[in-house]
Amino acid sequence: MSDALKKRKSKVVRSETGTPEGKRGRGDGEQEVRVYSEEVELDGSDPAEDYRQYKLTCKALAKLMNEIQELKANGAKDGCAEVEQKRMQSCIHFMSLKKLNRLAHMRLKRGRDQTHEGKQRVDVLHLQLQNLLYEVMHMQKEISKCLEFKSKHEEIDLVSIDEFNKEAPPEISRISITKDDPHQLTLARLDWELEQRKRLAEKYKESLSSKEKIQKSIEVKKEHLSSLQPGLNAIMQASLPVQEYLSMPFEQTQKQIEIARHLPPSLYVLLVQANAYGQACDKSLSVSISGDVDEAKALAKPPDDSQDDDSGDSDAEEEQEKTKRRRPTTGGQLDDKRREMLKRHPLSLCLDLKCKDGSVLHLFFYYLMNLNIMTVKAKVSTATDLTGAISAGELLNSDTLLNCLYANDQGRETPNPANRYQFDKVGISVFGDYVAELGHPYQWVQRLGGLQFPSETPEGLRAGSSLSASHMESTMKLLRGRVQSRLALHKQFSSLEHSIVPVSSECQHLFPTKVLSRLSRWTAITHHEYTNLSFTRHVSDAGLARETDLFFLAVVERGTARLQAAVVLNPRYPEISPLFALSLSWKGERAGRSDDNLRAIESEVNVFKSELQGPRPGHQLLTNQVARLCVCLDVYLETDGQDDSVEGPREFPREKMCLRTARGPNRLKPFKYNHPQGFFSHR
Amino acid sequence: MTLLVSCPFHCFKWLHCFNNSYTFLKFSGTVFFVQHLHMSVFSQSFSPCGRFLAAGNNYGEIAVFSLSSALSPDATDLSQKPILTFTAHEGPVFSLLSTDSHLLSAGNGEVSAWSWAELIKRVIHNLHFSLFSFVFSFISIPPLQENSLVIGGGDNNIHIMDLESGIFKSVLQGHTDYIHCLSVREREGEILSGGEDGAVRIWDCRTGHSVHCIEVFKYEDCARPQYGKWISCLTTDSDWMLCGGGPSLSLWHLRSMSPTSVFPLSGCQRQATFYQDMILSVGEGQFVSHCLMGGEVKAQIPCTPHSLNTLALNLNSTEHRVLTVGGSSHQIDVFANLYYRSFSLSF
Repeated sequence: MSDALKKRKSKVVRSETGTPEGKRGRGDGEQEVRVYSEEVELDGSDPAEDYRQYKLTCKALAKLMNEIQELKANGAKDGCAEVEQKRMQSCIHFMSLKKLNRLAHMRLKRGRDQTHEGKQRVDVLHLQLQNLLYEVMHMQKEISKCLEFKSKHEEIDLVSIDEFNKEAPPEISRISITKDDPHQLTLARLDWELEQRKRLAEKYKESLSSKEKIQKSIEVKKEHLSSLQPGLNAIMQASLPVQEYLSMPFEQTQKQIEIARHLPPSLYVLLVQANAYGQACDKSLSVSISGDVDEAKALAKPPDDSQDDDSGDSDAEEEQEKTKRRRPTTGGQLDDKRREMLKRHPLSLCLDLKCKDGSVLHLFFYYLMNLNIMTVKAKVSTATDLTGAISAGELLNSDTLLNCLYANDQGRETPNPANRYQFDKVGISVFGDYVAELGHPYQWVQRLGGLQFPSETPEGLRAGSSLSASHMESTMKLLRGRVQSRLALHKQFSSLEHSIVPVSSECQHLFPTKVLSRLSRWTAITHHEYTNLSFTRHVSDAGLARETDLFFLAVVERGTARLQAAVVLNPRYPEISPLFALSLSWKGERAGRSDDNLRAIESEVNVFKSELQGPRPGHQLLTNQVARLCVCLDVYLETDGQDDSVEGPREFPREKMCLRTARGPNRLKPFKYNHPQGFFSHR
Repeated sequence: MTLLVSCPFHCFKWLHCFNNSYTFLKFSGTVFFVQHLHMSVFSQSFSPCGRFLAAGNNYGEIAVFSLSSALSPDATDLSQKPILTFTAHEGPVFSLLSTDSHLLSAGNGEVSAWSWAELIKRVIHNLHFSLFSFVFSFISIPPLQENSLVIGGGDNNIHIMDLESGIFKSVLQGHTDYIHCLSVREREGEILSGGEDGAVRIWDCRTGHSVHCIEVFKYEDCARPQYGKWISCLTTDSDWMLCGGGPSLSLWHLRSMSPTSVFPLSGCQRQATFYQDMILSVGEGQFVSHCLMGGEVKAQIPCTPHSLNTLALNLNSTEHRVLTVGGSSHQIDVFANLYYRSFSLSF
C-alpha cells in the first residue's frame, strides 16, 4: 500500500474516531478546516491520479475478499480475529471508494459550469460578426448601385471622337483639356451635338417656307388650266351631233375607256376579256360599267389609298394604329371596321348574257377593295312569264342560281386565304353571313378577274389576263347552260305541279302508251324536312344530300297505292342526275331500304338514267325519271298478286306484258320496258 | 335457274378460243356512289384454297376479296376492298361455284369459267362454255357423274352438260315455272330442284326421270298463302332436306317424304344450310337465323343488308373459317364467330 493510501487511512481514521461527543468536544474550527480541505483537494488533485487510486483500491478490496473466502473455506470461524481484521480493512477501502465518487461528481459539475461560460462568450462574438457582415453587404450594394447609374446622355447618338476633333471649333473641343479627361471630352461632345441640332432646326424652317411658296405658284397655274375646261367642253358638246350623224360612237367608247381607267385592276381585266370574248366569239355578250365615277376618282386621288392591291398589309398597320389610339369604345368601332373592310369599289361591271329563247342572265361583278376578292350577284330576266310554279321558287333565286357551277364551288367562303386573318381582327367569323349583301365570291369569278389564290389542290399558277382568258369561254358556256337548265326545270316544275308529266316526242319510245299511275303532288321541301323522312336515310348516310342541293317530294298515286318519292336535285343538274328515294304505302308501309322491289325501282330510276336523258343536253331527265317512276309503279302493282289462284277481283288487273314476273333469289319484278315489242323484262 | 357442275375441271382445251381479256372496271365520282347505293349481292364462292372469296352482284360484276388479308391482325380499310373487280356478265350474277381450279359464274344466258390461279394474279380470262337464251340462277356439282354440270334455267328445265365436250347430255323436264334452286344427294345419285311453281322434284341422275314431286304449299303446316308458293331455297344432308320460300322453311325426312319440323321464321328464306347440329338460314330480314333441328329458332344475328340473298361457309381452310352473307347492300358481312358480325367486305 502506498503513502497516499496511508494518508487516506489516517484521514478516515480521524473522521471515524471523531464521534459525536468528540466533534462537539473539539469545536467548530476543526469542522471548517475539513470542508475547506475537500474543495482544495479537488483543485489540487489530478483526475488521472484519482483514477489510479480507484483502481488500486478496487484491487486491494478484491484481494481482501479472496483472502476472507479462503480463510472461511479453510474452516475459520465466524468471529475469527483474522477475518475481523480483513473485514475492517475492506471497510476502509469502501470509504475511500466513496470519497473518490464524491470527488468525481464535484469535478463533473465544475466542468459543466466552465463549458457553459465558454459557450456564452462564443455567442456574443458570433453576433458581432454577423452585424459586421451585414454592414459589408449593404456597402457593396450601395457601391454597385452607384456604379450602375445611367446618364441620359448615353442614349444620344454622338458623332465619333475623330469626327468631333476634326469638325468642332476649338472653343468647343478644347483639345488641351479634353485630351486626357474623358469626362470633359463627353461634355464637349454634348455641347457640339446641341450646337449642330440648333443649326438643323433652322434649316428645316427655311425649307418649309420655300415649299409653301412653290405650292402657291402651283395653285395659280392649276387655276389657269381649269379655266380652259369650259371652253373645251363647249367644243365637245358642239361636235356631238356630228358624231351621231356619222354613227361613230367615239364618245361612247371613249367614255367607257375613261371610266374604265378608274376600275380596279381585276375588274379591268374582266372588262377587257369579256369585251374581247364578246367581240370574237359571242355576240350576245355585253358588258357595261355602272357606279359612281366621281367617288372612284376621289378614291384614286390620295396616292397611298388607291389601287391598293396589297391592301392586306397596309390595312393591318392602319388597324393597329387605330386600336392603339382609341381603345375605350371598341364595340361601336368593330362595326365601323367591319363595314370598312367589306367595302366594295364604287364601280361595278354588269355582264349581260342573252340566251336563244330571249331570257337574259345579268351578272353584277363587284370588287371588295380591302379583301382583294371579287363577288358576283346574278339575276335572270325571262322572255316569258314564269309565274305559277311554286316549287320553282328556289330555281332562279339569285342566291343559289350559280351554286356549284364548278364542282364544290359554293361561293360562301372567301377564296383569299389572307382574308381569314383580316376577319379575325374585326371579329367576322363566317363570310357566308355577308354574301346576301355583297354577292358570292365564287372561285370562277376570281379567275375571270385574273386573281389567283393558292388553294389546297396545287395547280399550275397563272395570273392576270391569261388566267382570265383561259376560263372565259368555259365559264360563259357553263353560265348559259346553267340558265337554260334552270329555265327548263322551271317549265317542268310548273307542269309537274299541275300533275302533268310532260314527255317529249323524242322520248315517247321510253314509255308504254298506257300508264295508269298518276303524279298527284310535287312540292319543294327543305333539306331538314328531307333528312327527317325515314326512307331517305341511306341517301343522307352516303353523303349524297348536301345543303346546297334542292329537295322535292313527289307523290304518285294509283288506286289505294300511294308512292312517295323524295328527290335530291344537284345544282349542277343535268350533269349530275337527280336522286330518288321511295316509300310506298299500300297494304302497309314499304320503303326502298326494306323492299327489294322498291329498291329495284330506285335503281331503275337512279342508275339506269342514261337512256332517260333525251336529246342533249339532257334537260328532260327529271320528267323522264318521274315518268319511269309511274311506269314502274304500274308494273309493281300489277304483278304483286301473290298468286293467280287468289279469289276475287284484283285491284290492279294485269295489263302490262311481262316475260316473267319474278326472277332471282329476291324475286325482282321486271321493270325494264322494251320499246317496239312493248313488253317488260328484267335487267 | 340452276346449275350443277361436276369436278375435275382441268381440261378446258376446247374453250381456249373464247379467251377474252377484260380491263378493270372503274367508277368515278357520283356514279360510283349511286351504283353502290343500289347494289345487291347475289352469289358468293370461296376459292379452293379458302383464302379468297368471289362475290357477284346485280350489275354483272364479280369481285374477288382476299380473306387472308382481311382477317389478318393488321388489316386496314383497304383490305376490306376487293383485290379485283371485273364485269363478268351483262345481267346479274345469280350463281357462283368453285371447282378445284376454276370459278364458274352463271349470268344472263351464259355460264363462264374463270381460272382461280389467274384471278388471284389479277388476270382475267373468260372461258364461256354455254350460251342460252335464258338466265341461270344456280350451279352445283354432282360428284357421281364426273365432269358434268347441272344447270337449272329459265326454260323450266334442268340441263346436264358434259364439261369435257361442252355437249348437253340430258334435259330433265317437269317443272312448270322458273327453277330457283338445285341440290344434289351424293350417295343416292339424285338431284333435287325447287322452283317458282312451288314443287320440289327429285330426279334420278341415271334415268333422267322425276322420282318424286313434293308440292310443299299443299302441306298445311308449311303453307303461307299470303306470300306465295315458290321454293327459293333447298339443301340436303343424307336423308334430310331443307326447303323454304313462299312456304315456311321446313325440314323434311326424305325416306318418309314428310315434314318433321317447320321453323317459325317470318319472311321468305332465300338460302339455308346445315352446319354441325344447326341450320343457318338467310332471307328477308336483317339477320342470319340459327335454328335447331327440332324447329326452334335459337338466335337471329343482326347484319348490315336489309335483306339477304346468299350465305356461304368457308370450309376449305381451317384458319379462315368464316361465314359470309350478302344481300341488298354493297357490303358483304363476315362472321368469324357465328354469333356476331366481325366486319364487312365492301364492293
